[in-house]
Amino acid sequence: MSFNQFLPFVSTAIMLIFSIYVFQRYSVRHGRHFLFWGIGLSMFGLGSFAEAFLSITWNKWIFFIWYLFGAALNAGWIGHGTLYLLSRKKWVHVLTALLALGSVYAAYLMVQTMPRLDEAAFTTSRPISEQYGTKVLEAGQAAPAGALTAQETYRGAQVTVTRGVLPLGAAVRLTTPFFNIYGLLTLVGGALYSSFLFWRKRVLPNRVIGNVLIAAGALSIGFASTLTRLGNGQFLYLGELIAAILMFSGFMTAGRPQPEEVVSSAKVPAPAQ
Amino acid sequence: MVKESKPRNLTALHSKSHMPENSFFFERAIPIFLVVLGLVMLGLILFAAGVLIGVVRF
Repeated sequence: MSFNQFLPFVSTAIMLIFSIYVFQRYSVRHGRHFLFWGIGLSMFGLGSFAEAFLSITWNKWIFFIWYLFGAALNAGWIGHGTLYLLSRKKWVHVLTALLALGSVYAAYLMVQTMPRLDEAAFTTSRPISEQYGTKVLEAGQAAPAGALTAQETYRGAQVTVTRGVLPLGAAVRLTTPFFNIYGLLTLVGGALYSSFLFWRKRVLPNRVIGNVLIAAGALSIGFASTLTRLGNGQFLYLGELIAAILMFSGFMTAGRPQPEEVVSSAKVPAPAQ
Repeated sequence: MVKESKPRNLTALHSKSHMPENSFFFERAIPIFLVVLGLVMLGLILFAAGVLIGVVRF
């Protein structure tokens, strides 16, 4: 096992501790944001574990977990927790219902796709994020080194594709950007907004720093995923590990107890801690 | 002694829960971080939206 393949195991361990810590907070304080964070972070941890597993061997249900929880859902659920923290209005409950329904629908589409997975396209020599999707090669475009190619009919035309585990045009892939955009807006946007509010009021510096760390952590995994999609998958595991460390340390920093007198007088919304 | 120690404690509480004054980190670095992170977020959202509408292919 290479050093790079070892990194997702470390990320998994950090996310496991992080998730347990958040669920413990939920059991004590019962804030809905803790519940959604806990669920989302558990999904992140499951995705990291699945990625680590798939760097060693193939299992289609581990791939199911990796794609559904690791690639599609986790950012949206963590971000939704931040939304619950920032707003207690009724429309957030509507979004909760939409998120839950969307997640069930994504799971349904993933189950539908399972019999069509191209297991022969899988290799342990590359991160799963680099090889999960079947891609159409444009005219004159060379296939990446080591990738398998095939001829397929797609939207009525004969095309050359680099084979991936998920079939070409798998509907479940269309759901992923929705969850990721929502997750980016709520998790990163929420953390930056909270940080800005405290910064503007010149109070609770730990929450200013904590929220910056959370935003930076969430962006590091988003950035690494984008690089992977552009063909630079070697940074993904490191990006995940940085995300796990930054988000956990940000959460701990923002959640550090502060002097009561000042906390109670600070007229700013609760932070994305 | 009690009368003297109380204000001192309050000052300590205040300093812990307020940003230090004239701090380069809080006055300059944090706003820059917020702007840069916001821009990166915007870039990633545009990328994801590009994937969604088919402008970005991967």
